[in-house]
Parts: sequence; structure tokens; C-alpha cells
Amino acid sequence: MATTVPREGQTYVKRLELIWAPRPGLLGWLTTTDHKRIGILYFFTSLLMFGAGGVEALLMRTQLLGPHSHVISPRVYDEMFTMHGITMIFLFVIPMTTGAFGNYLLPLMIGARDMAFPRMNAVSYWIYLCSAIFMYISLAGGHAPNAGWFDYVPLASKRFDPGVNIDFYGFGLIFNSLSSTAAAINFIVTIFKMRAPGMSLNRMPLFCYAFLAASFALLFALPALSLAALFLELDRNLGFHFYDPAHGGSVLLWQNLFWIFGHPEVYIIILPAFGIATSIIPTLTHRRMVLFPLVALAEVMVAFLGFGVWAHHMFTVGLPTSATIYFAAASLIIVIPSAIQLFAWIATILTGKPDFKTPLLFIVGFIIYFILGGLSGITLAAIPFDQQVHDSYYVIAHFHMVIFGAAVFPILGGMYYWFPKVTGRMYSERAGKASFWLTFLGTLVTFFPMHILGLLGMPRRNYTYPAHMGWTLMNFIESIGAYMLAAGLLMIVLNLLISLVFGQETDDPFHGDTLEWSTSSPPAPYNFVVIPTVTTPYGMYDTEDRRRDNKRLARGEGLLDEGHETPMTTAQDADLVEILEMPPHSIWPPVCALLLAGMFAMLLLVHYWIAGAFLVLAGMALLAWHSHEEQA
Amino acid sequence: MSSPELSGGGAQRIARTLGRADPRHSAPSGVWGMALFLCAEVALFGTIIGSYFYLESVDRSWPPHGVEKPEVLLPVLATAYLLLTLLPIHLAARASRRGRRGRTVAAIAVGLAAQCGYLAWQILLFSSDLHKFSPRQSAYGSVYFTMLAVHHAHVLLGLALDLALISQLLAKGLTRYWLIAVRNLALYWYVVGALAVCVLFTQISPSL
Repeated sequence: MATTVPREGQTYVKRLELIWAPRPGLLGWLTTTDHKRIGILYFFTSLLMFGAGGVEALLMRTQLLGPHSHVISPRVYDEMFTMHGITMIFLFVIPMTTGAFGNYLLPLMIGARDMAFPRMNAVSYWIYLCSAIFMYISLAGGHAPNAGWFDYVPLASKRFDPGVNIDFYGFGLIFNSLSSTAAAINFIVTIFKMRAPGMSLNRMPLFCYAFLAASFALLFALPALSLAALFLELDRNLGFHFYDPAHGGSVLLWQNLFWIFGHPEVYIIILPAFGIATSIIPTLTHRRMVLFPLVALAEVMVAFLGFGVWAHHMFTVGLPTSATIYFAAASLIIVIPSAIQLFAWIATILTGKPDFKTPLLFIVGFIIYFILGGLSGITLAAIPFDQQVHDSYYVIAHFHMVIFGAAVFPILGGMYYWFPKVTGRMYSERAGKASFWLTFLGTLVTFFPMHILGLLGMPRRNYTYPAHMGWTLMNFIESIGAYMLAAGLLMIVLNLLISLVFGQETDDPFHGDTLEWSTSSPPAPYNFVVIPTVTTPYGMYDTEDRRRDNKRLARGEGLLDEGHETPMTTAQDADLVEILEMPPHSIWPPVCALLLAGMFAMLLLVHYWIAGAFLVLAGMALLAWHSHEEQA
Repeated sequence: MSSPELSGGGAQRIARTLGRADPRHSAPSGVWGMALFLCAEVALFGTIIGSYFYLESVDRSWPPHGVEKPEVLLPVLATAYLLLTLLPIHLAARASRRGRRGRTVAAIAVGLAAQCGYLAWQILLFSSDLHKFSPRQSAYGSVYFTMLAVHHAHVLLGLALDLALISQLLAKGLTRYWLIAVRNLALYWYVVGALAVCVLFTQISPSL
């Protein structure tokens, strides 16, 4: 239950409200540095991207509904599967998890009033938005990327793809990675330096461990992607030869660089989902998480081991046998930390008193799909099997089970779970459960038959297929499943939108165990009236801590009400060391993002000098941003 | 790098806030931010150098026929010179910790001048190499020139940071905020110096 502010504290509340009052109107949203507002901006933008990626998927499934179909042209089909992958990976899942969930919840969970670098947080969002627009302009102009989300050369080289389609991909991803890198740095520093006094590392919520691991993985994985894209653009636009075997280059360099990024990326996507699951399960099973320290370690281990398995995507390219055996073994080792978490989730549910409300249902769905996707993952780590089903629908089935079933289900569960926190209103439980079953069955019907199609030999990315191949029935079932899935997702969105207006007012309907539930719903701009202190990993289970907070509030202690203030603590033990003055708002983040967008647009148009001018302007905007700090 | 300004509260205010203050040293969040940014930069250079050796492993002739093996002496001297230019930056960081704005600005200015010389020297070596072979000629040329260009871009960014910091220190004084910035500048140059050594050994490796 959220802590009620005692009467003696009301004076302090009014003072904090004055200090933290956001700017009104559109300007307020443009210049905001409030992590909650930025989280909301991320949420709606990435939800829009999810819709776009979903429409692309439905177009593909409609095209594949029956044999010899021509619903869309082959050119458009190529663009659809490429944009679907790019959108879902780079523009939906990562921004939704780290951007929306992470931004909104993480500071609240650790008892901070904002992220460590609020303006950098804002610039991350604006860069993400600009990069999404940049890539979708290509689709509107009929020049969308069309060589698949992993964009293999030589297909993506100038010789075979002479338009600007691939350049949108290359520059768009470099642009987008700036946002993710800044966000990763921000999360790591926030987690290490902004935790509430007393929240030592062993008392930090598992959600934060998951985001910490994902942020480190992002930080070290993204340079490989950016560099691969830079090499590609140099090859395409300046006649370099990184990927040109005729001049000493190697097409496998692209594959290596891409998957050095691409496989950790899978864990970057799924780790926040693990974090969401470990938040929902203890609350709705009314017990503490089984094996808390091991689950925390397993989350970190998954991110670490994810860097050593990239070549299992390349078992068919002719790597030396010793290398393929190493990568197969390394891939199997990841089963260990994954299984630790899996058993801990199941054990917590079985030994607790599960209340199967909608969020927990989605987590159960996630566990089922994680097991299914994990099992097919083990089969793909077996080299001879992988060589047989490589580039077939079996692979599509595997990664959709993992990415949609295991990564998106916790996002959907999390949307329900934290909806009352963000809006102060309750969703419709009946509609929530109905939406779960529709989504769960839709997922199963869409993606499970793909295993069979893959084993029957249907290659991925096929525009259409002849009737006599025996693929017609499975494709038909999958397409029906896709429409069911879309209906389920629409139902979730409608439920939440209707509940936003008509939902019953609530504060803490689930009796959540972490600190975000200790404040009002929705939280005030300053998050906490009094800076909380923590002595256990379950801030809300320790009522004595919260009682002590109220006493301090009555005495006027721990308020930090002399400005936009938040505490900074030591990295390990979270002892208070500094009081930080946070920047309240700034116009420079969107300005910087726009100038960088101008630079990438000019690079695309091969106006290098103008691109350089935009870069200089962006640098000057950064300088102005720091000059303002002194006056704040 | 955005970093919140440290309020002038100090230990007394912290003690008033929660009844205790931790006197232990703790790096400001701005320094953490810069350190993590530099981790990403190290990963970037690691990937470039990895790509260099990967391409070398797939190409039978490295450098290709018609391209001379890279010169050793001048790049070694240039890198040694860059490492020497880190000294004034180090002194600037030390002076800033003692609150000496004038000395801090002067040391950064000396570092800036010396590092401009380094960049000019490297540009001369770069254009001299361009006269001998081209990045459009082979994968060797592509990765060789890209690696050097990325390194030089980092030096150029360092010069811009030197210049920006001098102007801010002169205009705003040595506040806690800009003190952290000086510390970050030093950290940046140390890492660029270390990366320069890695780039050097990669560059001259065919001649070793």
C-alpha cells in the first residue's frame, strides 16, 4: 500500500510540488527531463512502432495465406520482412523495455527522483524518435531497406542493391545506436549511483539486475553493429573493400560483426523481460523470490555468456570444425543460467499462493514459450541439425517463440501490472484475461506450425510457394493465427485505453513489493516526498522502513526540498555521499537530436560537407547545453 | 556528458538529511558516465583492430602486392609525442583539484597546442600514405585508413573538448561542475593515448 503523507508533511509536499512543477503544454513535453514523462513518450512511440511492425507482419501473412498469391509485390514483400525485423528489434522491443519500462520504473524502484543524467535521457528519446522517422521515411518513399534485418552482404552491396534502401538501414542503425548507447550509460550510472540510502547491491530489486546486465550488454555490443554499418556505407558510397572478396575483403566479416552484436542483442531483448517477470511473480504469488541471489547472478551471467556464442548463427558458412564445436558448446552453456531462472520462477509460483490475475497469466505464458523457444534453441545448437534447418521456417519459429513469446509476453504482462501505478486506475480484469487467452492462442497458432513448415523444407523469406509442396495448410493456419494474435493485442490496447478513462481509481491494487508502490499512483513529479531508506530487497514488505520514512517526514528530514535534488550514494553499499541538483528542463536535447538527424540525412544524400556542418552545430548545441548548467 | 551539478550541501547537510554522512571517496556520476562512454570507445577500437586482423587472416598477401610495408619510425615517434602531450593534461587535472584555475587553463592550453601539432603531423603522414596507396585499392587500404581516420577523429574530438573547456573555465570559473569536466578530459586523453598505442602496433604489425 502506498505510504500516506501525514498531515505534518503537507507543507513539504506543497513546497516540492512548486519546485518540481512541470512546464505546461507541448513545450513541457518537448523540454522535459522527467524520467516518467520520457518513459511515457517512449511507451507511445514504441507502441506505434509495434503497430507498424504488426501491420507489416499481417501483410506478409496475408501474402502467404495461400499458394501463388500476389497480395503485395515481391519488392514490397522484401521491404516488409526487412522493416518488420528492424522495427520489432530496434524500434519496438528495446525502446519499450529499456526506454519505457526502464525509464519510468527504475528510478522509482531504487528510490531516486530521476535518472543520473536527465538531459542525456531526453536526448536518447529524441534521437530514437528521429531515427525511427528516418527509417520510416524510406518506406514512405518506396526505398525501404530490403535485404533482411541482418542485411547480409553481398546482397546488401551496391552491386546487388544499388538504391538508397540499404543506406537508410546503415545510417539509420548508426543513428539509432547513439540513442541506445546513451541510454545504457544512463541506466548503469543510475543503478550504481542513485540508489536510495541503504539499498546495497544485495538489496537491489531483481528488475534492476536485469536492466543492469542488459545495459552492459548494449554498451559493449553496439559498437560492433555501428562499425559493421560504417564499413558497409564506406564500401557502398566511397568504394572501399571491407566486404569485397575480389579485393581482399570478406563477406563473413559482416556476418561476424553483425552477430557479435546480434546474439548479445537477443539477451538485451530478453533480459528486461526477465526483470519484469521477477517483479510480477513475487507480488502475485505473495512470497519472496526463490533463489534471489542466484537469479541475480544468472541474469548477469546470461548477458556475459551471450558474447561468446555469435557464430552459432554461422554454422553453414564453412567455419573450422573446432570453432563450430566451441560455439555449439558455448550456446549450450547458456542453458545453465537460463534454467536457474526458469526453475526459480516456477518454484516461486508453485510454493507461493498464486493469484492468477492478468499480469501473472502473461508471465505463465512467457514461461511456457520460453521453454518451447529454449528447447528449439537447444536443437539449433546441435550442428548437424542446424545445418539441415538453416534459413528455414524452423529458425523463424524458434526466434519468434523466444522474442515474441518470451520477450513480448512479459512486456504485455508488465503493461497490465504497472497500469494502475502509471495511471491511478484499474484495468478490466475480465477483458484482460480474455485478451491473454486470445494472445496466447494466437501466438501458438501463428508460430508453432512454423516448426513443421521448416522441417518440411520451406525456406524463410519466400515471397510465395507452389500448391504441391504440402505447405498450404500450415501457412493457412499460421495466417489465421496472426489475425487472432492481432485481435488479442488490439484487445489489450483497447482495454487499457478504455480503463484510462473509465477504470476504477486505485493506488496499489496488487500490494507490490518494490519501492515504486510506496508512492502515489500516478507518482508526483518528485517521486518521493521523503527520500526512502531501505534495509531489505523488498522495500514494501518492510513496514518498519516505511514507518521510519513517515517519522522523518514529520520531522522534516530527508526531504531534499531546496531545489531539484536527489541523493547520490556509493556504488556498493548505497551510503549517502552527495546531494545532486538535477536539471529541471532543457530545449537542447531535441535540438541536438534534430541536428544529428540533419547530419544523417545529408550523409544519405551524399552531401558530406553539409553533414559536417550539422555535426559542428550539434557540437555547439552540446556546448550550449553545458553552459546552461551553470545558470541552473 | 551531462552531469548534475553538485550542490554546495556537503557533509553537514547530508548528516541533517539522514543523520549520517559517508566520508569515503566516491567518484561523481559524471566521471562514471565518461568512464562508461570510454568503455564503448574501447569496444569500438577493439572491433576495428579485430577486423584488421580478421581481414589479414583471409588475405594471402598482407599488405597486398604493390603496397609497401608500413613505415615504423615516424608513427612510433608520433605516438610517443602524443603520449608526452598527456603530461600537461595530467597537470591540468592536478591543478584543478587544488582549485587553481589559471594553472588549469594554462596546462590545457599547452596540451591543446601540443596535440594540434600531433594531429597536423598525423595528417601529413596520412596524406603521405594516401599518395602511396588508396583505401579504394584493397581491403588492406580500407581498414588501414579507416582505423587511422577513426583514431584521428578521436584526437580531433579531444581538441574540441580542450577548447570548449578552456572557454568555459575562463567564462564560468572552476566550479565543481567544471572540475569534474577537467577530470573527464584527462580520463578521455589517457584512454585515447592507450588506444593510440594499440592502433600503432596494429598499423606497423606487417613490418614487425
